[in-house]
Amino acid sequence: MKRMIVGALSAFALTATAAIAEYPEKEIQGIIQWGAGGSTDTVMRSVTPHAEEALGGTVVMQNMTGAVGAIALNHVAGSEADGYTILMGAENPMLYKIMGLGDKDYGEFTPISILARGTPVLVAHPDAPFNDYAGMIAYVKENPGEVRFGSTGPGGLPSVITAMINAVEGELDVTAVPYDGDGPALTGLQGGAIDVMPAVLGASIEGIRAGNMKVLAIMDTAANDKLPDAPFVTQFNEGYNTYLPWGPFFGVFTPKGTPDDVVAKLVDAYSTAAQNPDFVQLMDDRGFTLMGIGGDEADAFLTKWQQGTAWLLQDAGLTKASPEEFGIARP
Amino acid sequence: MIALMDFLTVFTQPELLLLVGLGTFAGIYVGAIPGLSVTMAVSILISFTFSWDVYPAISLMIGIYMGGVYGGSRTAILLNIPGAPSAIATALDGYPMAKRGEAGTAIGVTTVMSFIGGFVGIGVLALAAPLVSEFALKFQPRDYMLLAILGILLVGSLSQGSLVKGIFAGALGIAIGAVGRDPLTFAERFTFDFQLLEGGISFIAVMIGMFGVSEALLQLHHVDKDAVRQKITRIVPSLATVKKHLPLSLQTSTIGVTIGALPGTGGDIAALMAYDHAKRVTKNPERPFGDGAMEGLVAPETANNSAVGGAFIPMMTLGIPGDAVTAIMIGALFIHGLNPGPMLMIDQPDMFWFIVGCLVMANIFMLIFGLTGIKLFTRIVEMPRSVLIPLIMLLSIVGAYAVNNSVTDVYWMLGFGVFGYFMRHYGYPLGPVILGVILSRLLDDNWRRAIISEREDLGRFFEGIVTSPLSLVLFVSVILIFVSQTPLWSKAKARIFKDGKAKS
Repeated sequence: MKRMIVGALSAFALTATAAIAEYPEKEIQGIIQWGAGGSTDTVMRSVTPHAEEALGGTVVMQNMTGAVGAIALNHVAGSEADGYTILMGAENPMLYKIMGLGDKDYGEFTPISILARGTPVLVAHPDAPFNDYAGMIAYVKENPGEVRFGSTGPGGLPSVITAMINAVEGELDVTAVPYDGDGPALTGLQGGAIDVMPAVLGASIEGIRAGNMKVLAIMDTAANDKLPDAPFVTQFNEGYNTYLPWGPFFGVFTPKGTPDDVVAKLVDAYSTAAQNPDFVQLMDDRGFTLMGIGGDEADAFLTKWQQGTAWLLQDAGLTKASPEEFGIARP
Repeated sequence: MIALMDFLTVFTQPELLLLVGLGTFAGIYVGAIPGLSVTMAVSILISFTFSWDVYPAISLMIGIYMGGVYGGSRTAILLNIPGAPSAIATALDGYPMAKRGEAGTAIGVTTVMSFIGGFVGIGVLALAAPLVSEFALKFQPRDYMLLAILGILLVGSLSQGSLVKGIFAGALGIAIGAVGRDPLTFAERFTFDFQLLEGGISFIAVMIGMFGVSEALLQLHHVDKDAVRQKITRIVPSLATVKKHLPLSLQTSTIGVTIGALPGTGGDIAALMAYDHAKRVTKNPERPFGDGAMEGLVAPETANNSAVGGAFIPMMTLGIPGDAVTAIMIGALFIHGLNPGPMLMIDQPDMFWFIVGCLVMANIFMLIFGLTGIKLFTRIVEMPRSVLIPLIMLLSIVGAYAVNNSVTDVYWMLGFGVFGYFMRHYGYPLGPVILGVILSRLLDDNWRRAIISEREDLGRFFEGIVTSPLSLVLFVSVILIFVSQTPLWSKAKARIFKDGKAKS
């Protein structure tokens, strides 16, 4: 009994000192969900040094890949909620549950910052027999099954965009060729292995500038200042207003239950970092829309994003389980 | 003229020169330790060099890259543990040489050949980059698939003794490579509902276990015997030796630069294909392959270093990475405010020539650092086995852990080590297992891409092969190489020769 009391007391003392000590008192582990050199990796490695400055600590970043990011997510979700292990990820964990890829999503986390959002764009091989979105739709209807779309697996950006097109235009008969990422798929597009690729603007902008691929439509409700002359999809079909604007995003998360003062410090550090001119410039160059939101605003954004995307995929018949099962309300 | 100035930037600034040298030196040692990969080193450097200017950052990264690709051969020759996947083929003949007491000669030849290969790669990058990248883009999924089949046919050259056992080992490798969530559809394969298996089995862990741990276990049999004394008479190979192997090294460099330039294949496949090529064209090696043939060192080492220049070709001309390291470098260029892509060569040609200059410098440093300190290194093999075996085990465990910072990988590594020990014991070659793991994804993904693109119609698929010259060449090579490994070929050859003699 005595021993228990002493144990409890010392445990109490320990937690007390932990709370008093200034966070961060040791290195923070930043787990990046995707491989080195990818979009998520680039964004995280360029924003974090600025956050380190604001935080007065070190964040050691590490790529943990595998199972479309689920391994990294489970790793961070299973680690202690003390702010010393944070997750740096993209949008797709919001779809793990309905895609049968895992039983956890960002619901297990407190968002630190949603840094930026990407704009999807439909690009085609320069020799493709159509020059804009309307031409493509007409061609696909005349030649069912002949047009090859790049895809990156269920739940990836191309699958969402294709589901959107099917929802607005009715079922289109295209052949979806699977790739393990938008980088390899865009390489395939330039080599003529596929005809059309729904990609994020940042990944394709240099190819577009060089004329190695052409824009069919920007999947947005307004023109993009990176490509002011390119048509946007609602010009062709008003129906897209229901679903757009939509885009992938990047964010930093910490497990739920992290002490409030620690969360506040992290939120503060990353929102300062997101406003750093170097980072703003980088995001602009890559065609990403800067967000830098945290707290309740980020929570609201995540909920809305998940509802819209999950039900879109559900209606397209691409899901393994209904969003209803996980309490994701229809928007 | 401006191009020349940009090219010379690195030579005229002592600071940059120092960074390339430092990078190369560090790269050789990072590359030599199995599990510590160049990819990892370069991605750590991105954060580390974040606040630097772009030139110094790139200098350091290129040094590490060049040094690291070469460094993998060190442990392959001395301990039979390839420091990197691209050094697997090097171990096949390099280690037998070390066992004979010729580790010094082996490292010397490797260094000079890596240097030659490195220069061929850089030369092609500097002179023909747009041409090569255009060619590389022509590769369709079905061509990658044919390339993978061509690779799988290497099982024949990688297995000494029983071909059947070699085929079994290769098939096992392909199965190991398929474990985990399929990256195209996310379907689970061979996971048996274990979350542990969802991410697949780390290929590096398999490699380290199969080569490193099984070697350590095998050495236990001879723990009481004395280590081989190394003769260190000649380290730098004579001009005659270099000259003799020059034709082969140029051929294998070409293989290296081409495979390196293809997005999706890199130095590991290039080295294995080059090894196979050497085995095919070398009529009378001084010693049989697998027993310490010099050609068995020349081929993979020229190929993997020329693949470095090759990997930069699509990166510089199109902004498409040629391998994992160049993928990270593209990220680094972004972070430093450049926009790597097809326009980089037009907007900022200085960057291109600067990178070429750095590569040249790194290649020279590699030769210098590679040829010094060999004596010290060969001492490793002379150590008593009671020290060497724990050292190999330690290196293997640290290496396997470092890949993903995960203990699971260490268990995999140990498991495959024990398994590899028994495989060796029963005469199953290990090379084909690794070959299978490397090629598994390439074959599987591209076959599915190819057949899905043709709407799952085999007729259209073969029509595609016959109508594309590139596919046709690859297809015919697959058939020829396959037939040449069956008894049919020797029969046909005998008949043709008989006819020839009868006529004359």
